[in-house]
Amino acid sequence: MAGTESELETEGAVATLPADAWVTIVWNDPVNLMSYVTHVFQTYFRFPKDEAERRMREVHEQGKSVVSTGGREQMEIDVQAMHSYGLWATMQRADA
Amino acid sequence: MRGFEREGGAAVALLDDEERTVIARIVADVGLLLGAEAFGMEHPHEPSTPGADALEHLTWFEESLAEPDDPALLKLLPSASRDDREVADEFRRLTEGDLRETKISRLRGVWQDLSEDAETWTVDLEGALDVAAALTDVRLVLATRLGLESDEDAERLHEDIARAVEGDSAEFHPDPERIWLGMLYDALTWLQDSLVTSMAEAP
Repeated sequence: MAGTESELETEGAVATLPADAWVTIVWNDPVNLMSYVTHVFQTYFRFPKDEAERRMREVHEQGKSVVSTGGREQMEIDVQAMHSYGLWATMQRADA
Repeated sequence: MRGFEREGGAAVALLDDEERTVIARIVADVGLLLGAEAFGMEHPHEPSTPGADALEHLTWFEESLAEPDDPALLKLLPSASRDDREVADEFRRLTEGDLRETKISRLRGVWQDLSEDAETWTVDLEGALDVAAALTDVRLVLATRLGLESDEDAERLHEDIARAVEGDSAEFHPDPERIWLGMLYDALTWLQDSLVTSMAEAP
C-alpha cells in the first residue's frame, strides 16, 4: 500500500513531460506541523486547500509525496524553497 | 505566554520578559549555527554575553551548536538527494549560501521582534511565514539535540515531561536539561501552531 499513490502520479506525469523531467519529493519528519506543511504547500505551490491537505497527509501517512514535476533547474528552485521552510525535500529524475 | 491570535492584519502573541529572553537567545544560537553574527552585538566577532542569569544553563548548548559537522546543521541544510552524490553536491554548491542567508535573515527578524521592550509580539501577515519558518528551524535544531528521529521519540519525550512535571514518582529521575529543552520545544511548537492557525483565519 505504501507509496502507490505517489508512484502512480509520477508515472502519469512522465507520460506528458519530456524525457529529462525531474520531480521534487517532500519527506516526512517528526518536527513539522501538519498545519504548517499545508500552509507552505498552499503558499508556495499555490495548491488549493484540499489539494495541499491531501499532499500533506500523503507525506505524513506514506512518508513522502511528489509535490512538483519539471526541469532540473525548476526542481532545484522548488527544493531550495522547501529547505528554506524547514521541510526536507529531494529531487530526482521522474523515471528514477 | 499567550499564543498568537488574529488582530486585523496581524497575529499577536503575549510573552513576558523571561519568555522573550529565552526564545531570543535560542534564536540567536541557531543564527550562530548557520554562521550569522551574534545578533545585537556591535562587534560580531566578540563572544556574546548572556543577557540573563536564568540562561546560564544554556551555555553547554551554545558550545555544542558551534561545532562543525553538526547533525542539527544538516537538518537546516539537508541533502537534495538520498543517493545521488552529483545531484546533492551540485545543489549544495548552488544554493547553500542563499539558504543560509535566507534563514539567518528570518532568524534575525524574529530576534529583533523579541528584543523590543514590549509584552506583545506582533507579526504582520505578510511576514508571518518568515516567522513560522524561523520557528521551524529552531525546532529542528532542538529536536536534533533531543534525539527526536520519529513520532515515537516525540511521544516518549512528552511522557517524560508529563512525569517530570507531576514529580510524583520516586523511581523517575529524568535528565533536567532534556526536560527543560523539551519544554522549550513544546512551547515553540504550540506558539508556531497558533501563528499558522491565525494566519489561516479570515480577518
